[in-house]
Amino acid sequence: MSKRLGMAIDQERCIGCEACSVACRLENETDLLWIKVETQGGVEKDTPSGTHPNLTMNFLPRLCNHCDNPPCVEVCPVDALIKQKDGPVILDKDLCTGCKACITECPYNIISFNEKSNLAEKCNLCVHRINQGVEPFCVICCEGQALFFGDLNDPNSKISQLISSRNTFQILSEKGTDPCVYYCPPKPKMNL
Amino acid sequence: MKSKEEVKKVRTACPAHCGIDCCGILAHVKGDRVIKLEPADFPDRRDNRICLRGLNSLDITYHPDRLKYPMKRIGERGEGKFERISWDEAFNIIIEKFKKISERYGWKSIGWVLGGPGAGTTKFGAYLRLASLTQSTRVSAWGYGDAGLPCGSRVIFGSQFPYIYLFGKFWQRKWPDLLIVWGTNPGESAPLQTMRKILDAKETGTQVIVIDPRFTITASKADDYLSVKPGTDSALALGLMNIIFQKKHHDVEFIKLHTNGSYLVRIDNGKFLRGNDIEAKKAKAYVCWNESSNSPEIVRRSNIKSSKILGTFNVNGIECKTAFQMLLELAKEFPAEKVAEICGISKEKIIKLAERIGTSNSVTFFTYMGFTRTYHGDISLRGLATVASVTGNVATSFSSGYIPAVLNWDPFLKAIPDKPSFHRLGILNLYEAVISGKPYPIKALWFAFINFLNQCVDCNKIINKFFPKLDFIVQTELFMTPTARYADILLPVCSFLEFSDFLPHPYPYLQLQQRVIKPLYESKSDVRIVAELAEKLGFGDYFQGGEEGLIDLILDNPSLEGVNREILKDKALNLRELPEGSKFPLTFQTPSSKIEIYAEQLVADGQALPVYLEPLETPLNPEGKKYQLGFIQGHSRFRTHSMFANVDSLLKLNPEPIVEINPIDAKNRKIFDDDMVTVVNDRARTILKARISESVKPGVVNITEGWWIDQFKEGSVNHLTHDVINPVQEKVYEPNMHMNDVAVDIIKKREG
Repeated sequence: MSKRLGMAIDQERCIGCEACSVACRLENETDLLWIKVETQGGVEKDTPSGTHPNLTMNFLPRLCNHCDNPPCVEVCPVDALIKQKDGPVILDKDLCTGCKACITECPYNIISFNEKSNLAEKCNLCVHRINQGVEPFCVICCEGQALFFGDLNDPNSKISQLISSRNTFQILSEKGTDPCVYYCPPKPKMNL
Repeated sequence: MKSKEEVKKVRTACPAHCGIDCCGILAHVKGDRVIKLEPADFPDRRDNRICLRGLNSLDITYHPDRLKYPMKRIGERGEGKFERISWDEAFNIIIEKFKKISERYGWKSIGWVLGGPGAGTTKFGAYLRLASLTQSTRVSAWGYGDAGLPCGSRVIFGSQFPYIYLFGKFWQRKWPDLLIVWGTNPGESAPLQTMRKILDAKETGTQVIVIDPRFTITASKADDYLSVKPGTDSALALGLMNIIFQKKHHDVEFIKLHTNGSYLVRIDNGKFLRGNDIEAKKAKAYVCWNESSNSPEIVRRSNIKSSKILGTFNVNGIECKTAFQMLLELAKEFPAEKVAEICGISKEKIIKLAERIGTSNSVTFFTYMGFTRTYHGDISLRGLATVASVTGNVATSFSSGYIPAVLNWDPFLKAIPDKPSFHRLGILNLYEAVISGKPYPIKALWFAFINFLNQCVDCNKIINKFFPKLDFIVQTELFMTPTARYADILLPVCSFLEFSDFLPHPYPYLQLQQRVIKPLYESKSDVRIVAELAEKLGFGDYFQGGEEGLIDLILDNPSLEGVNREILKDKALNLRELPEGSKFPLTFQTPSSKIEIYAEQLVADGQALPVYLEPLETPLNPEGKKYQLGFIQGHSRFRTHSMFANVDSLLKLNPEPIVEINPIDAKNRKIFDDDMVTVVNDRARTILKARISESVKPGVVNITEGWWIDQFKEGSVNHLTHDVINPVQEKVYEPNMHMNDVAVDIIKKREG
């Protein structure tokens, strides 16, 4: 079976620090946030929902979902976006014309537009690192060790084992995009 | 051609985070420029790490605002007008000023204010060594928030820190059944050494409880959360103990063997009954009541197991109780209902937590400095440690794991063995020393790695009464901080990539902070600056070899045999490992050599037991009070204290100071999200944006510490804080600043 490279994000371990966002920006030399950490709780960042002291707050790092059926690839008029056989959806800056079709089409609203270069930008799953046999930079910089990278088709990979041992979800799975990014929601609390 | 240049990788370590996290860093260097930082390997790869601040360190090193050359002030202090001078000129001015001042007032009147050196050792040590040689004054900076915990720890454990006793085993990845994170937010302040391990523990089934006035990121990860009013932690501790004692969940054997709980205390004067009171040969020995002989006996290792921990006894006409009996009686005054009222926690949760503590096989109590930044924060620590002690959850020995390193501090603390060393002044005592000359006048200050004005209490007092009294101020800095503006001579220092130091952190590792690139501009490391100054003062021999020389010196201890700079260049080393099954005792340097649940030294102060005393300012019952909100300063993951506050990439994620206020308090004051508000008390007003958030307890407001004064519309966090000294802390160790014990109120700022 061919590889299906992807990510698993363990919300139980994510502390919302945004080191992934920072790491991504440094690695990819961009000013834009290819990874955005959303607070699941109150309206504002880092605020909980509920009434003090009965509160909940979780974090959801959002990045390109590297869909198996990527709508962005479908609409790109110049083939700047391709779905690699082994998983990553790659945006080739040299081919992009900045038409924004992908940005409109992406159901995750996660493709950025760089106002300086007038081009689209997004997470390429650090394909330049993967090709050298090292993990995406966000993964090795994650403070909570909540990010997992690997081959989803290899049942022995750490990522597959995490996914099989936990509840998981894909964002907007009903859209039929079949993301290669899986999320493990927080475990139930052991209240006093 | 240039782009083909080879990329060299150098292992170093980030010293920024107060010695706790201390990430290993692999710097990628191209030519003379660092182009990238990534996590370096540790012997245990689970410890590879770098936080979001450390990742951005190049934005500090290559920050356009870095101070590039020495400067002397030409405008008024605080105005920020400076003129470039040479290093020679800077040293000449300093030497001349120091000579003048020392001739008139003595070297004692010259103080070195050394802030948080991070994990750094020799950059701190260099100043100590020069202070020792010149017999000038070392101003200890423990008191700017970090003295409360040592005050409490010294009393109960006889140790500067309680960490090894309370959570040394946790750091060794020995997970407890129950982990209580009390008054600290490691999710932001210590994400790697602590929070990551909390998440690991949780994965294996450890139940995690957080006690905090704020629902922090750490609290959001916990299984349950107790929201406590600031400064009431010792009431909670007593309430927990009361339930534990009533249900007989306390560990009788541990109390007998490792605490002074069975020692008899005289009711008439609160002192321990001694040998001479029962006509024993050992006149000063402690006395316990022996259960088998039903009589008082001198405490011995052989009879302590037969001692009674409860009871009232009449010994030769002297009424006595065991120390534990006294603790139990004190705890009885704190039934759950009363504690619920004092602390603002539901009674049910208090009872459940006490039962969980009492019935768990192992409990780890985790805390740092946060809750000790209240007026009686030292007792809060003692309260927590007493709960841990009476339930047998304090480590008294290690049977495996790594033994902390002992560094060769002697040559720094006392440079010439047979001569007196430096004078020592707590930073909170410095205020009076400068302003009114008590206990002795301080006329010149040298600030190093401290943003004094920004991070110390009562800014207006510092600006209006403190700085004007000083004849001379030197500051070593990377940037024109709020404090630097007040310097007479401003010296540019290196970022951590430009000099070497030895870092004995994070546990269980030793690391070299290895110089990666040459100092930028005209900057020098603190060690180099001190060494050159020492040379001019005739003490050059004591600083031979610069940074490397001092690293070799501090490594010169038998516990560090085989550890040297060469070995540490490419890797972090483990500390010395204990063979499995061996026993490494942890001693208690208290008067009794035991955990002192009863402290005789504090009888006259009414604090022999971990009593509950109300906070100084925090308005527990706000009705009728002028300022009705308790103000606290949490930590932000975007800064290490005031470091990184000027880094653009972090400001993009966290652009400006905000005050967090609970919706109930906001509604009462007609405040809406993003309103500009004034936080006010008698000392100052601070203007910033409001964030309405359920995360803070009603009655509490939070502004994270470390924002620079210039980043507020007016005022700052420490414009609002006070410099009141707690005399007991002064007696025990050193008085602390109580940044989390401050009353304020908030009013909506009117337009215009």
